[in-house]
Amino acid sequence: MTLRGTVALALVLGVLVTYLALSAPTTQTPAVPVAAGPALLAVPATDVTHLELTDASGRLSLVRSPNGWHDAADRTLPSGVVTDLLDALTTLRPITMVDDAPSDIADYGLGADATRLHLVGSTDRPLLDLEIGARNPAWTGLYARRDGAPGVFLVGALLQWEIDKLRNTARAQSSP
Amino acid sequence: MTKTARFPIVAILAALVLSVASAAVAEDKPMILDANNWQEGKDLLPDPVLKRLQAGEYWFKVVPVDPAAFKKNYAQKFWDATAANEGKYDLDPATCGLKDKATGKIPEFLIGFPFPNIDKNDPNVACKIAQNFAFAGYMGGGGGATFTLNGIDTNGQFRRVKAFIHAMGYQGRIDGKIEDNPENLTLQAIGAAIEPQDVEGVSTLTKRYWDWESQDAIWAFVPSTRRARRVNAATRSDPVAGMDIFSDDLNCYAGKIEYYKWKLVGEGKILAPVLRPEPFPMKQVSETRYSVDTPYMEAGYEKPGSKGAPWWIQDNLVFVPRPVWIVEGESSDPYYNFGKVIMYFDKDLYRIYWKLVHNRAGEYFYTAACGYHFVKDGETYSSVYPNLVIGVNDKTNRAALGGRYQSSFVERKWDPGYFSLRTLTRLTD
Repeated sequence: MTLRGTVALALVLGVLVTYLALSAPTTQTPAVPVAAGPALLAVPATDVTHLELTDASGRLSLVRSPNGWHDAADRTLPSGVVTDLLDALTTLRPITMVDDAPSDIADYGLGADATRLHLVGSTDRPLLDLEIGARNPAWTGLYARRDGAPGVFLVGALLQWEIDKLRNTARAQSSP
Repeated sequence: MTKTARFPIVAILAALVLSVASAAVAEDKPMILDANNWQEGKDLLPDPVLKRLQAGEYWFKVVPVDPAAFKKNYAQKFWDATAANEGKYDLDPATCGLKDKATGKIPEFLIGFPFPNIDKNDPNVACKIAQNFAFAGYMGGGGGATFTLNGIDTNGQFRRVKAFIHAMGYQGRIDGKIEDNPENLTLQAIGAAIEPQDVEGVSTLTKRYWDWESQDAIWAFVPSTRRARRVNAATRSDPVAGMDIFSDDLNCYAGKIEYYKWKLVGEGKILAPVLRPEPFPMKQVSETRYSVDTPYMEAGYEKPGSKGAPWWIQDNLVFVPRPVWIVEGESSDPYYNFGKVIMYFDKDLYRIYWKLVHNRAGEYFYTAACGYHFVKDGETYSSVYPNLVIGVNDKTNRAALGGRYQSSFVERKWDPGYFSLRTLTRLTD
């Protein structure tokens, strides 16, 4: 190859390198999104003394005693299902804020038909007031709002699993 | 086609639909479960699967079986050993590891389920279910198959990898104990990619130790670097080849029982995917090797005019209603990608048929259906093999199919030296 050909190839290479350097993304691909911000329940699960779950199927009110969790009829629930829900609430975080100021909360299954979870600590201190709506289209999470704030966020569908477990266990306990 | 000509066809179709719907009511008869009668599947399928059934993406050929006949998929030798295990074993409370009551240590060797009777009120019930699951898988003792992994989205297949797996078991093998086990192994396996060419020879060697604490030793070999590197056992929760399928999908759980914290949360009935409810025969091809032929399960993307999602299996797969334990599992390994996993274990045969996976942020994202086939040779040998994984990522609406091999083999006397780094590094020579 002639000197002129070598120089020409070097020039082409230089142009390509410059092009690649200029067109390469300046930031790295973001990692898998991890839920940020504080957990839904910001205190240890053991601080919760009273749990109230309300949905279309009715109201479940549970109180913690030294012997475990009891419902309004003083039936003892297997402690595992309650602590599983509370433990989940100490790890679940809003994944993303979906709508800061929703114009129609019914779009998210919120409002009158929503499930409501209310947690209270000792000395009647409110710990969490959660309004839980519909699943998102992919079913990976649930729409929710907390403590009366208008913003709708997405929380992992593990919450639904734990609520269903608690609800089904309570139903089984109350059936003759 | 004119309106008058079309009407009879519509009437015939309507009659067919009605006849199928009425068949669905009868629990002891085969039926097709699809969008027309999806309500019948309400208590027989996990919710994300039911949603796709209702949408017409999935359909199920349901074949009820006699429970006693289904149990006979495992040889009488296995059931006799199971009965003999009654009262002999306990669990190490810290690890969920199997303990011999007589010695207080891990048992030397056993065949059959270590816990023949499961009491749902036992505080360790979930660990016992998981241990029974492990020993059902160990039964065959060893074998191998060449299979495919297919990445599929709503438009069809986007990736295909052909691979093989060879495995040798030491613990729980129905053929009896292998005395020479210097590494104190439960099992060992080699898996390698064959196609496409750019991944050919990418391979792994796994050794699982027969103890309560140690992690699996896994080495990965990449031909381009000529290096075998030890990798963390938590890599079983990493996607395989960029597809929506994970090493831990083999049998729906492929880790050591001691890795998970197990919890029984319910019981119910589920539709269990199997190639067929009866066992397949095995054909002797050498002194120690037997081949097993199984039919190919064509998926929607491979069959023009097929029904349902492109990844849904169209042929040679049936669903058997089975009683199940519903169990949660959660890894304590911080490098494991999955959060809470919900699994459905057969109450008699201890196979996991479905699992629902949450990520570490508590988002549900993935369901795997795990299909099996049974192999039996009289009442002295039997085995159950994972033949299919339908892994569906509901977050991305993509799926992967794993398995679907047409030929596999049972190897009853592996050369242990085959499962070595030397083999791993020379697979592409």
